[in-house]
Amino acid sequence: MGEVKLFFGPNHPGMNGNFSVHMYVEGDIVKKARPLPGFLHRGFEKLMERRYWYSNIALIPRICVPEPDINEACYAMGVEKIAKLDVPERAQWIRMIVLELTRIANHLMAVGGIGGPIGLYTAPQWGTADRDRILDIFEALTGARVYHMYIVIGGVRKNMTPKIEDMIWKTLDYIESRLPDYENLIFKNRILHSRLKGRLILTREQALEMGVTGVGLRATGVEYDVRKVDPYLFYDKVDFEIPTATEGDAFSRVYLKFKEIPQSIRIIRQALERMPQSDKVNVPVSKGSALRRIVPEGMAYVHIESTRGEYGFFVVSDGKNKPYRVAVRGASYPQGLYGIEKYLPGTRIEDVPIWLATMDVCAPEIDR
Amino acid sequence: MKERTIWEQIADSFRSRSIWMLHYCTGCGAMELPPTMTARFDMERFGITPMATPRQADIMLITGYLNTKTLRRVIYTYEQMADPKYVVGFGSCTINGGIYFDSYSTINRLDYYIPVDVYIAGCMPRPEAILEAFNYLMEKIRKGEADGWKRYKENYDWYKQNQIRSLGEVYVHDEFHE
Amino acid sequence: MTSSMSNLVKILEGFNPFVEEIDEKEVKITISSDKVVAVLETLKSNGYSHLSLMTCIDWIDDNQLELVYILFSWKNGGKFLVSTRIDRNDPKFVTVKELWPVARFYEREIHEFFGVEFEGNDDMKPLFLELWDEKPPLRKDFDPRDYSRKKFPDRKYEKDVIKEAKIFRGEING
Repeated sequence: MGEVKLFFGPNHPGMNGNFSVHMYVEGDIVKKARPLPGFLHRGFEKLMERRYWYSNIALIPRICVPEPDINEACYAMGVEKIAKLDVPERAQWIRMIVLELTRIANHLMAVGGIGGPIGLYTAPQWGTADRDRILDIFEALTGARVYHMYIVIGGVRKNMTPKIEDMIWKTLDYIESRLPDYENLIFKNRILHSRLKGRLILTREQALEMGVTGVGLRATGVEYDVRKVDPYLFYDKVDFEIPTATEGDAFSRVYLKFKEIPQSIRIIRQALERMPQSDKVNVPVSKGSALRRIVPEGMAYVHIESTRGEYGFFVVSDGKNKPYRVAVRGASYPQGLYGIEKYLPGTRIEDVPIWLATMDVCAPEIDR
Repeated sequence: MKERTIWEQIADSFRSRSIWMLHYCTGCGAMELPPTMTARFDMERFGITPMATPRQADIMLITGYLNTKTLRRVIYTYEQMADPKYVVGFGSCTINGGIYFDSYSTINRLDYYIPVDVYIAGCMPRPEAILEAFNYLMEKIRKGEADGWKRYKENYDWYKQNQIRSLGEVYVHDEFHE
Repeated sequence: MTSSMSNLVKILEGFNPFVEEIDEKEVKITISSDKVVAVLETLKSNGYSHLSLMTCIDWIDDNQLELVYILFSWKNGGKFLVSTRIDRNDPKFVTVKELWPVARFYEREIHEFFGVEFEGNDDMKPLFLELWDEKPPLRKDFDPRDYSRKKFPDRKYEKDVIKEAKIFRGEING
């Protein structure tokens, strides 16, 4: 039997987003795999150079669709670093709450969504329905379900009211009460064990050489998390743990995402308790129009821990009212391009969507 | 518009009760589809369900901006779908380019390349808006007004000429990049 | 600058760098282009083993392209921005894919968006764009608005004042 060319994606229900992997297969063993990104390329880095510093806030959440707030946070922190702005303390706490809420939302979607490629269709129903509760918080807080544009340069757009704080407490309690159900349904399920246990194993050296971050790295026993190694916001002031595993297989990657949810809940609870009461949540940077704001010359690289790993913005300013260059480090760049080419050959066809789902290959942030 | 026979009217009425949507997320609007499909908004109660292959699908949902590279695949897919077929443009990007109006790789209006039956405005539209649009599309099908697939056949040369103007070449010769 | 970073900067002094401190944990090193690989090797063997990002900036007024390698250390959280400038008209550089395999794709991307040739990297096919027929798009002299106007026609809007007034008064549903 000879080798067969096989196109996987972009138009395929098992595909994770609009992405494509082209393979040579023999039987059902992958002999050679090539990633083909670019279906979502919009030229963000060029468009950002053409807009004002402030109007970019409306554009950048669209870089990563499942987790939009990390973009605004990264960009805002980068500009603040160049312009040496001090952000009010309450705004920093609110940013942390928003980032952790979107982490929970994305993890719920990913943990439920693993049911899609393996044929366990109750899990996506639960995951998306519970994620919607967090989207309701965002709607009350920011006015939008998906693209919030809430974190702006110098703080956040508006204050968090006590009513919304109460809503967050209640939603966190609800999600915490649901976690044992998820454990029983998903992680004690025979389908998941037989499909994911021992598949797509990465060793520690392979993961570090590839440059993969996030759960892909932590599943190999390395306790690397940007929140701990290079703390931003107030992550050095709250207590939380970083769950790790040593197997490095697909199952442990999904299970780590699940185990991060209680930690995020813990961070949000601490933040809600320790947040100072104040009305000042942003700084007016210049007098007059905020659109024509000028940022001094300089460059800075800011990275944060997204659900998929290290997510970074490299911002360059030449002292005008528009950015000179903004480069984005998509968190799934290494595993989505190099990882597919290097580690998929030798596996079976049905493992390919599992790689894409457990490694969280996010097509819009690779393409930008 | 040509008058429909009684049998066509009955067929249209049945068609509108069970429309299958092609499961192809072309852009970021696909993010609001999971809530629409699953338990909370549950689009299946209107008889709409995702379908994996273009040959069995009735609706093509263009979720958001279209890159030129994706537009080639969308045209492939659209031409593979069996008649009658309907296109729903989702989000501002399909209407006038939206926030990417000056991007060098995204198109600015969808109905220049393939006929569109219903547009949903907004970035991004809520799940309720998607359901409302589907209900409106069903109404249009029942009345026989959703005739985009007929227009595509009648004005095939015009659509083809527009596609070639923007894409250079519609067909992909070197799909494998080798 | 933390003490471990300033020690490392001292080791690098032989390469004659221009050191600029952006932040306590972020240092930018500008060096001439022939010493970049040696500096990157030194930094990699000293703990800065994670290539966070590799990117390019187009300084059109100086007629130069700036290549930036951002290295991150998982041990102490420090960041080094290694930057070098190359000629814009005939941009050529050496590949670092032996040091970081993922750099192969970053270089492919930079080749596509800025037109930089990387010697030693054999795979320079377009990654994101298909049938691209203009100059590399992220160069500063490329105007995406013009390109978009030329290739992707806009929708024409005609202002109908009477209809708008009727919508405003609630007589018809806009």
